[in-house]
Amino acid sequence: MTSAIARLREEVATGGGLKPLRVMAASGQLGYGIPDAAFNAGLARKPHLIGADMGSIDPGPYYLGAGKMAQSETMVRVDLAKCLRGARQLGIPLLVGTAGSAGAAPHLAQTLDMVRAIAREENLHFRLASISADMPRDTVKRAIRAKRVVPLGEIGELTETDVDHATHLVGQMGIEAFQRALELGADVVIAGRACDSAVFAAVPATLGYPLGPTLHMSKIIECCSLCCTPGGRDTVIGTLEGDSFVIDSMNPTRHASPMSVAAHSLYEQADPYAVREPEGTLHTRDSRYEAVDEHRTRVLGSRWEPATQLTIKIEGAMRVGERAVLLCGSADPRVIANIKSITANVEKIVRELTPPRPDKPYQIFWRVYGIDAVFPWATPPDPLPREIFIMCECIADTAEEAKAVATVTKQYLLHHGFPGRLSTAGNTAFPFTPPEVAAATAYRFNVYHVMDVDALEPFFPVHMEDL
Amino acid sequence: MRLTDIAKVVRSKNAGPTVLTLDLLFNDEAGFRLACGSNSLKPDAIARLYAQPVEKIQVLAYPPALAIKVVLPRRIVSGDPGDSDVYGAQQHGPLLGIEL
Repeated sequence: MTSAIARLREEVATGGGLKPLRVMAASGQLGYGIPDAAFNAGLARKPHLIGADMGSIDPGPYYLGAGKMAQSETMVRVDLAKCLRGARQLGIPLLVGTAGSAGAAPHLAQTLDMVRAIAREENLHFRLASISADMPRDTVKRAIRAKRVVPLGEIGELTETDVDHATHLVGQMGIEAFQRALELGADVVIAGRACDSAVFAAVPATLGYPLGPTLHMSKIIECCSLCCTPGGRDTVIGTLEGDSFVIDSMNPTRHASPMSVAAHSLYEQADPYAVREPEGTLHTRDSRYEAVDEHRTRVLGSRWEPATQLTIKIEGAMRVGERAVLLCGSADPRVIANIKSITANVEKIVRELTPPRPDKPYQIFWRVYGIDAVFPWATPPDPLPREIFIMCECIADTAEEAKAVATVTKQYLLHHGFPGRLSTAGNTAFPFTPPEVAAATAYRFNVYHVMDVDALEPFFPVHMEDL
Repeated sequence: MRLTDIAKVVRSKNAGPTVLTLDLLFNDEAGFRLACGSNSLKPDAIARLYAQPVEKIQVLAYPPALAIKVVLPRRIVSGDPGDSDVYGAQQHGPLLGIEL
């Protein structure tokens, strides 16, 4: 039997060049629901592949650290089944990147289990490739000693202790790893941590489409119809036509305009003109955005510069402690006016009553919503708000200690006496009890660095199986 | 004139867990040009609003989208203990009061 990529090679080949290639982006965040109408409209266009991104570093360190998915398992199964059925129905490759939200071993294993279960239940048969992205700790430590690791932003130099402390340590794969899986005959590729663009760029890159437009198109469609006006999550098709590409939302009410597509290059990027990938850099300084009609936009002039040094972006998260939070509000003007001194004094009492362990002291964080919980404003609002929401967070070594601190805090915050107090029966309102809630393990990113490597292949092994 | 009178989008978001980006998208060329020339959007003004050293602020005009992008370090790495905004999606507040 010929492989999926071999069939595509045959299909797109012309005498001299390549036919237009239709890349369907089914989801920018698999597991949050794929709208049916646009997904089915996409399938009706007979795309050459389906890609879906499943993760991101945006939701914070918990998911990577804990090895858990951010999405609900039920919804992931629904979305995965939809994509698998669509791809098998058309006999085209399906590529999924950053399995299970963070793309480490437990995320990949959980996603693969779901794929196998769906295949069994729906009697689907295909060659499945999985690509892991867990970084070998010894290799990363050697790279640290060889001064081949640099921080990405203000996170400090990476130490060998950080490498040991990270509960999971992953690297972002690029198109290279997906290409190996395709050449091994994969119909479906489920990848651990991956660059979102690689999910969509790997097939066209393997077929020989120019990398500038390929990567630029991939970067835009990875968020599906977010590049449209109004933005949304609906399936989008990017059509590569050689040196240019066209963006076309499968929802007829979401229009890809030159302005909306260009603006998407700003999204979550520090530099809209240069996007660094493991194998090189995408340059969009000379890109031109032209309307095809009121619904579609063509992009020309995007360039690719191969890297002189291969790199892998590495990510790791470590456990900080166990978290408990106290949730309450106040509608008393005097409590609100004095809230900073009230919380400071209550914390002092709590620290006396529940002394922090000298070796592993707990931490307390107050957030007063209505005053400065979201942004650290230099001055309080004037006038003060009518109500405030107060959250006291404790991170301690054990869940029991965190809960004890939150519980003692509750009682002393409720009854704290302060000068001018009128509401002597209680300072706070609890919407429910218990108002102190265990909030899972706290993690933090302790690795967000880039590592120079001599070859990408050894870091991202491909495993094949027939279903 | 207020920034919010001529901008159609004022947003903030992480670009990775250590970097915050602020995007200002304008309704038209005139508004974009006015904003590009305004001292209120120069790095030193942004540095004061976000309590960061001026050398850590980048302000970049992006004509294809009639946009100005501001890049600065996050106050704290995303999700670290004490963070207030893991996605960085609500750090645009100080821009809303800007007079150009």
